[in-house]
Amino acid sequence: MADAVIKLRLNQQQLELMDRTIARGIAADRAALVRLALQEYAAARKAEIKAKPNDLEPVR
Amino acid sequence: MSDRRVLFEHVLEPGTGKAIELLKGQILRIEQVEGGQCADFNCFNLHDYKEFMHCGRTRTVHGFHPTKGTFMWSAPPRERAMLYILEDTVGRNDVLFPRCSAYVYEASYGFAVHTNCHDIQAEAQREYGLTPDDVHDSFNLFMCTGVDQDGHAYMTRQTTKAGDHVDLLALMDVLAIPNVCGADVMRTSNFALKPLKLTVFAATEADLAAVPKTPVLSSQRTPKDFRNPTIKTDRPLRRDPSYHPEFPNTPIRITELPVSLSEEELAAFNAVKRADIYGEDDAAALRDLLFSWWEERFLQAHAGAPSIENQ
Repeated sequence: MADAVIKLRLNQQQLELMDRTIARGIAADRAALVRLALQEYAAARKAEIKAKPNDLEPVR
Repeated sequence: MSDRRVLFEHVLEPGTGKAIELLKGQILRIEQVEGGQCADFNCFNLHDYKEFMHCGRTRTVHGFHPTKGTFMWSAPPRERAMLYILEDTVGRNDVLFPRCSAYVYEASYGFAVHTNCHDIQAEAQREYGLTPDDVHDSFNLFMCTGVDQDGHAYMTRQTTKAGDHVDLLALMDVLAIPNVCGADVMRTSNFALKPLKLTVFAATEADLAAVPKTPVLSSQRTPKDFRNPTIKTDRPLRRDPSYHPEFPNTPIRITELPVSLSEEELAAFNAVKRADIYGEDDAAALRDLLFSWWEERFLQAHAGAPSIENQ
Protein backbone atom coordinates (compact mmCIF):
# COMPACT_ATOMS: atom_id res chain seq x y z
CA MET A 1 0.00 0.00 0.00
CA ALA A 2 1.34 3.44 -0.95
CA ASP A 3 2.08 5.99 1.75
CA ALA A 4 -0.78 8.26 2.71
CA VAL A 5 -0.09 11.97 2.36
CA ILE A 6 -1.61 14.43 4.83
CA LYS A 7 -1.18 18.11 4.01
CA LEU A 8 -0.81 20.10 7.24
CA ARG A 9 -1.83 23.76 7.12
CA LEU A 10 0.62 25.71 9.28
CA ASN A 11 1.18 29.41 9.78
CA GLN A 12 4.54 31.16 9.97
CA GLN A 13 4.61 31.09 13.77
CA GLN A 14 3.94 27.37 13.91
CA LEU A 15 6.63 26.79 11.29
CA GLU A 16 9.05 28.94 13.30
CA LEU A 17 8.52 26.77 16.38
CA MET A 18 9.05 23.65 14.28
CA ASP A 19 12.22 25.06 12.74
CA ARG A 20 13.65 26.05 16.13
CA THR A 21 12.92 22.54 17.35
CA ILE A 22 14.63 21.04 14.32
CA ALA A 23 17.64 23.34 14.90
CA ARG A 24 18.04 21.68 18.30
CA GLY A 25 18.70 18.41 16.49
CA ILE A 26 15.37 16.82 17.32
CA ALA A 27 14.58 15.85 13.70
CA ALA A 28 16.08 16.24 10.23
CA ASP A 29 13.29 18.30 8.69
CA ARG A 30 9.68 19.40 9.17
CA ALA A 31 8.12 16.19 7.89
CA ALA A 32 10.45 14.11 10.03
CA LEU A 33 9.47 16.19 13.04
CA VAL A 34 5.79 15.47 12.41
CA ARG A 35 6.49 11.75 12.11
CA LEU A 36 8.54 11.81 15.32
CA ALA A 37 5.68 13.61 17.08
CA LEU A 38 3.25 10.96 15.85
CA GLN A 39 5.52 8.13 16.96
CA GLU A 40 6.10 9.53 20.45
CA TYR A 41 2.55 10.78 20.95
CA ALA A 42 1.06 7.42 19.93
CA ALA A 43 3.49 5.54 22.19
CA ALA A 44 2.56 7.76 25.14
CA ARG A 45 -1.16 7.27 24.52
CA LYS A 46 -0.66 3.50 24.25
CA ALA A 47 1.03 3.51 27.65
CA GLU A 48 -1.76 5.63 29.11
CA ILE A 49 -4.52 3.45 27.69
CA LYS A 50 -2.93 0.46 29.41
CA ALA A 51 -3.03 2.37 32.70
CA LYS A 52 -6.38 4.13 32.20
CA PRO A 53 -8.34 2.51 29.35
CA ASN A 54 -11.21 5.03 29.04
CA ASP A 55 -9.31 8.29 28.74
CA LEU A 56 -7.15 9.41 25.84
CA GLU A 57 -6.29 12.76 27.44
CA PRO A 58 -2.70 13.02 28.61
CA VAL A 59 -2.02 13.56 32.28
CA ARG A 60 -0.27 16.94 32.64
CA MET B 1 14.44 35.76 61.35
CA SER B 2 15.20 37.72 64.54
CA ASP B 3 18.13 39.48 62.83
CA ARG B 4 15.79 41.36 60.51
CA ARG B 5 15.77 45.08 61.25
CA VAL B 6 12.29 46.57 61.83
CA LEU B 7 11.73 49.70 59.73
CA PHE B 8 8.05 50.43 60.30
CA GLU B 9 5.12 49.15 62.33
CA HIS B 10 1.44 49.96 62.00
CA VAL B 11 -1.83 48.47 63.15
CA LEU B 12 -4.53 48.48 60.51
CA GLU B 13 -7.75 49.17 62.34
CA PRO B 14 -10.98 47.61 61.04
CA GLY B 15 -12.33 49.54 58.07
CA THR B 16 -8.93 50.92 57.09
CA GLY B 17 -6.01 50.35 54.75
CA LYS B 18 -2.52 51.81 54.44
CA ALA B 19 -0.33 52.63 51.45
CA ILE B 20 3.28 51.76 52.22
CA GLU B 21 6.38 52.52 50.17
CA LEU B 22 8.05 49.13 50.18
CA LEU B 23 11.47 49.33 48.60
CA LYS B 24 13.31 46.52 46.84
CA GLY B 25 14.78 44.25 49.49
CA GLN B 26 12.23 45.13 52.16
CA ILE B 27 9.68 42.75 53.61
CA LEU B 28 6.09 43.57 54.48
CA ARG B 29 4.61 41.28 57.14
CA ILE B 30 0.82 41.20 57.32
CA GLU B 31 -0.08 39.58 60.61
CA GLN B 32 -3.21 38.42 62.38
CA VAL B 33 -3.80 40.26 65.66
CA GLU B 34 -6.80 38.26 66.85
CA GLY B 35 -7.07 35.76 63.99
CA GLY B 36 -9.78 35.19 61.42
CA GLN B 37 -9.25 38.34 59.35
CA CYS B 38 -8.94 38.58 55.56
CA ALA B 39 -6.61 41.23 54.12
CA ASP B 40 -7.09 42.56 50.60
CA PHE B 41 -3.94 43.69 48.87
CA ASN B 42 -3.04 45.97 45.95
CA CYS B 43 0.43 46.74 44.67
CA PHE B 44 1.89 49.22 42.17
CA ASN B 45 5.36 49.90 40.82
CA LEU B 46 6.33 52.90 42.97
CA HIS B 47 7.91 54.68 39.99
CA ASP B 48 5.23 53.85 37.39
CA TYR B 49 1.75 53.17 38.74
CA LYS B 50 0.64 51.78 35.40
CA GLU B 51 2.55 48.63 36.33
CA PHE B 52 0.45 46.84 38.93
CA MET B 53 -0.03 43.39 40.40
CA HIS B 54 -2.23 41.17 38.24
CA CYS B 55 -4.27 38.42 39.86
CA GLY B 56 -5.00 36.81 36.49
CA ARG B 57 -1.34 36.37 35.66
CA THR B 58 -0.55 35.33 39.23
CA ARG B 59 -3.22 32.62 39.33
CA THR B 60 -2.19 31.34 35.91
CA VAL B 61 1.35 30.85 37.15
CA HIS B 62 0.68 29.70 40.72
CA GLY B 63 -2.92 28.48 40.87
CA PHE B 64 -5.91 29.74 42.83
CA HIS B 65 -4.17 29.74 46.23
CA PRO B 66 -0.65 31.17 45.90
CA THR B 67 1.39 30.72 49.05
CA LYS B 68 4.98 30.55 50.32
CA GLY B 69 7.44 30.19 47.46
CA THR B 70 5.34 31.96 44.82
CA PHE B 71 5.35 35.43 43.30
CA MET B 72 2.92 38.27 42.68
CA TRP B 73 3.26 39.21 38.99
CA SER B 74 2.52 42.46 37.21
CA ALA B 75 0.07 42.71 34.30
CA PRO B 76 1.07 42.27 30.65
CA PRO B 77 3.05 43.59 28.94
CA ARG B 78 5.29 44.09 32.00
CA GLU B 79 4.84 40.59 33.52
CA ARG B 80 7.54 40.98 36.15
CA ALA B 81 7.73 39.35 39.55
CA MET B 82 6.93 42.25 41.90
CA LEU B 83 6.81 40.48 45.25
CA TYR B 84 7.91 37.10 46.54
CA ILE B 85 5.90 35.30 49.23
CA LEU B 86 8.72 34.49 51.58
CA GLU B 87 6.64 33.10 54.43
CA ASP B 88 3.03 32.07 54.89
CA THR B 89 2.11 30.39 58.15
CA VAL B 90 -1.39 29.50 56.95
CA GLY B 91 -1.07 28.72 53.25
CA ARG B 92 -4.55 29.76 52.21
CA ASN B 93 -4.86 32.87 50.06
CA ASP B 94 -7.21 33.72 47.21
CA VAL B 95 -6.89 35.17 43.72
CA LEU B 96 -10.36 34.13 42.52
CA PHE B 97 -12.60 36.70 44.15
CA PRO B 98 -12.62 40.39 43.32
CA ARG B 99 -12.55 42.97 46.09
CA CYS B 100 -15.89 43.50 47.79
CA SER B 101 -17.54 46.78 46.87
CA ALA B 102 -20.26 49.17 48.00
CA TYR B 103 -22.47 47.78 45.23
CA VAL B 104 -22.30 44.28 46.74
CA TYR B 105 -23.47 45.49 50.13
CA GLU B 106 -26.23 47.64 48.71
CA ALA B 107 -27.47 45.07 46.19
CA SER B 108 -27.34 42.02 48.46
CA TYR B 109 -27.77 43.46 51.95
CA GLY B 110 -29.43 46.86 51.50
CA PHE B 111 -26.67 48.96 53.08
CA ALA B 112 -26.53 52.60 51.97
CA VAL B 113 -22.96 52.70 53.29
CA HIS B 114 -20.81 49.76 54.39
CA THR B 115 -17.09 49.10 54.81
CA ASN B 116 -15.87 47.53 51.56
CA CYS B 117 -12.47 46.71 50.13
CA HIS B 118 -12.79 48.80 47.00
CA ASP B 119 -13.55 52.02 48.84
CA ILE B 120 -10.99 51.28 51.57
CA GLN B 121 -8.33 50.67 48.91
CA ALA B 122 -9.35 53.83 47.04
CA GLU B 123 -9.12 55.93 50.20
CA ALA B 124 -5.69 54.50 51.09
CA GLN B 125 -4.42 54.96 47.53
CA ARG B 126 -5.65 58.58 47.47
CA GLU B 127 -2.66 59.42 49.70
CA TYR B 128 -0.53 58.85 46.58
CA GLY B 129 -2.81 60.61 44.10
CA LEU B 130 -4.54 57.55 42.72
CA THR B 131 -8.27 57.51 41.94
CA PRO B 132 -11.00 54.95 42.66
CA ASP B 133 -10.58 53.74 39.07
CA ASP B 134 -6.98 52.75 39.81
CA VAL B 135 -7.90 50.11 42.42
CA HIS B 136 -7.18 46.72 40.85
CA ASP B 137 -8.20 43.13 41.51
CA SER B 138 -7.03 42.24 44.97
CA PHE B 139 -4.81 39.45 46.21
CA ASN B 140 -6.87 38.23 49.17
CA LEU B 141 -4.64 37.11 52.02
CA PHE B 142 -5.98 34.49 54.44
CA MET B 143 -9.21 34.20 52.41
CA CYS B 144 -10.48 30.64 52.23
CA THR B 145 -12.07 29.94 48.84
CA GLY B 146 -12.58 27.20 46.31
CA VAL B 147 -14.47 26.24 43.16
CA ASP B 148 -17.47 23.93 43.32
CA GLN B 149 -18.30 21.19 40.81
CA ASP B 150 -20.50 23.59 38.82
CA GLY B 151 -17.57 25.96 38.37
CA HIS B 152 -18.73 28.62 40.84
CA ALA B 153 -16.25 30.19 43.23
CA TYR B 154 -17.21 30.01 46.88
CA MET B 155 -15.78 31.36 50.11
CA THR B 156 -15.83 29.86 53.55
CA ARG B 157 -14.59 30.60 57.05
CA GLN B 158 -10.89 30.74 57.91
CA THR B 159 -8.98 29.18 60.78
CA THR B 160 -6.16 31.70 61.18
CA LYS B 161 -4.91 32.50 64.70
CA ALA B 162 -3.19 35.48 66.30
CA GLY B 163 0.38 35.65 65.03
CA ASP B 164 -0.29 33.95 61.69
CA HIS B 165 1.35 36.00 58.98
CA VAL B 166 2.43 36.36 55.39
CA ASP B 167 5.81 37.94 54.54
CA LEU B 168 6.05 39.69 51.17
CA LEU B 169 9.54 40.49 49.89
CA ALA B 170 9.70 43.39 47.41
CA LEU B 171 11.64 42.57 44.23
CA MET B 172 11.22 46.15 43.00
CA ASP B 173 10.20 49.41 44.66
CA VAL B 174 6.43 49.20 45.12
CA LEU B 175 3.52 50.95 46.73
CA ALA B 176 1.97 48.14 48.77
CA ILE B 177 -1.58 48.65 50.01
CA PRO B 178 -3.09 46.11 52.41
CA ASN B 179 -6.51 46.69 53.94
CA VAL B 180 -8.69 44.99 56.51
CA CYS B 181 -11.40 43.36 54.40
CA GLY B 182 -14.70 45.15 55.00
CA ALA B 183 -16.86 42.01 54.97
CA ASP B 184 -18.51 41.43 58.34
CA VAL B 185 -21.75 39.95 57.02
CA MET B 186 -19.99 37.23 55.00
CA ARG B 187 -17.91 34.23 55.99
CA THR B 188 -14.71 35.81 54.64
CA SER B 189 -13.46 36.93 58.06
CA ASN B 190 -15.75 34.77 60.20
CA PHE B 191 -18.42 37.49 60.49
CA ALA B 192 -16.32 40.14 62.30
CA LEU B 193 -13.84 42.91 61.51
CA LYS B 194 -10.52 42.68 63.36
CA PRO B 195 -7.24 44.62 63.19
CA LEU B 196 -4.15 43.44 61.32
CA LYS B 197 -0.57 44.28 62.18
CA LEU B 198 1.85 45.51 59.52
CA THR B 199 5.61 45.37 59.95
CA VAL B 200 8.24 46.36 57.41
CA PHE B 201 11.64 44.71 57.78
CA ALA B 202 14.89 45.05 55.92
CA ALA B 203 15.51 41.65 54.32
CA THR B 204 18.55 39.71 55.41
CA GLU B 205 21.01 38.09 53.01
CA ALA B 206 19.35 34.76 53.78
CA ASP B 207 15.94 36.19 52.85
CA LEU B 208 17.26 37.47 49.53
CA ALA B 209 19.03 34.21 48.79
CA ALA B 210 15.74 32.31 49.18
CA VAL B 211 14.18 33.89 46.08
CA PRO B 212 14.14 31.63 43.00
CA LYS B 213 15.32 33.15 39.73
CA THR B 214 12.66 34.21 37.25
CA PRO B 215 13.33 34.67 33.54
CA VAL B 216 14.17 38.10 32.14
CA LEU B 217 12.72 38.20 28.62
CA SER B 218 12.45 40.74 25.83
CA SER B 219 8.65 40.36 25.92
CA GLN B 220 8.56 42.05 29.36
CA ARG B 221 8.01 45.49 27.88
CA THR B 222 7.99 48.90 29.51
CA PRO B 223 6.83 52.33 28.22
CA LYS B 224 10.09 52.78 26.28
CA ASP B 225 8.86 49.90 24.09
CA PHE B 226 5.30 51.18 23.64
CA ARG B 227 4.09 52.73 20.38
CA ASN B 228 2.03 55.01 22.62
CA PRO B 229 3.89 55.63 25.88
CA THR B 230 1.85 58.68 26.89
CA ILE B 231 -0.69 58.23 29.66
CA LYS B 232 -4.08 59.52 28.56
CA THR B 233 -5.15 62.35 30.84
CA ASP B 234 -8.69 63.09 29.74
CA ARG B 235 -11.75 60.85 29.98
CA PRO B 236 -13.50 60.70 26.57
CA LEU B 237 -12.24 58.25 23.95
CA ARG B 238 -11.68 59.66 20.48
CA ARG B 239 -10.38 57.90 17.39
CA ASP B 240 -6.86 58.83 16.26
CA PRO B 241 -7.26 59.59 12.52
CA SER B 242 -3.54 58.90 11.94
CA TYR B 243 -3.79 55.38 13.39
CA HIS B 244 -2.47 52.53 11.26
CA PRO B 245 -2.65 49.07 12.85
CA GLU B 246 0.65 47.27 13.42
CA PHE B 247 -0.39 43.96 14.92
CA PRO B 248 2.55 41.62 15.48
CA ASN B 249 3.29 38.89 12.94
CA THR B 250 0.50 39.91 10.60
CA PRO B 251 -0.66 38.98 8.09
CA ILE B 252 -0.85 35.36 9.21
CA ARG B 253 0.20 33.24 6.22
CA ILE B 254 -0.66 29.58 5.79
CA THR B 255 1.80 27.13 4.25
CA GLU B 256 0.99 23.56 3.28
CA LEU B 257 3.32 20.88 4.57
CA PRO B 258 2.74 17.46 2.94
CA VAL B 259 3.69 14.60 5.26
CA SER B 260 3.86 11.01 3.99
CA LEU B 261 2.76 8.39 6.49
CA SER B 262 3.50 4.70 6.10
CA GLU B 263 0.74 2.16 6.62
CA GLU B 264 1.97 1.62 10.17
CA GLU B 265 2.18 5.36 10.89
CA LEU B 266 -1.30 5.91 9.49
CA ALA B 267 -2.69 3.17 11.73
CA ALA B 268 -1.04 4.78 14.75
CA PHE B 269 -2.45 8.15 13.74
CA ASN B 270 -5.97 6.77 13.28
CA ALA B 271 -5.77 5.18 16.72
CA VAL B 272 -5.01 8.43 18.53
CA LYS B 273 -6.36 11.26 16.37
CA ARG B 274 -9.06 13.47 17.89
CA ALA B 275 -11.82 12.62 15.43
CA ASP B 276 -14.29 13.73 18.11
CA ILE B 277 -13.08 17.29 17.55
CA TYR B 278 -11.81 17.32 13.96
CA GLY B 279 -14.08 14.76 12.26
CA GLU B 280 -12.61 13.80 8.88
CA ASP B 281 -10.13 16.71 8.82
CA ASP B 282 -6.98 14.65 9.27
CA ALA B 283 -4.76 17.66 8.56
CA ALA B 284 -6.20 19.51 11.56
CA ALA B 285 -5.99 16.39 13.71
CA LEU B 286 -2.33 15.86 12.81
CA ARG B 287 -1.54 19.51 13.53
CA ASP B 288 -3.20 19.12 16.94
CA LEU B 289 -1.14 16.02 17.59
CA LEU B 290 2.09 17.79 16.58
CA PHE B 291 1.67 20.71 18.97
CA SER B 292 0.18 18.60 21.75
CA TRP B 293 3.32 16.47 21.52
CA TRP B 294 5.48 19.60 21.55
CA GLU B 295 3.82 20.81 24.76
CA GLU B 296 4.26 17.45 26.45
CA ARG B 297 7.90 17.17 25.47
CA PHE B 298 9.20 20.72 25.73
CA LEU B 299 6.93 22.89 27.86
CA GLN B 300 8.55 23.29 31.26
CA ALA B 301 5.58 24.72 33.16
CA HIS B 302 1.83 24.48 32.67
CA ALA B 303 -0.43 27.01 30.99
CA GLY B 304 2.35 29.12 29.53
CA ALA B 305 3.80 29.89 32.95
CA PRO B 306 7.46 30.88 33.02
CA SER B 307 10.05 28.38 34.04
CA ILE B 308 11.07 29.42 37.56
CA GLU B 309 14.48 28.22 38.62
CA ASN B 310 14.33 26.75 42.09
CA GLN B 311 17.53 26.86 44.02
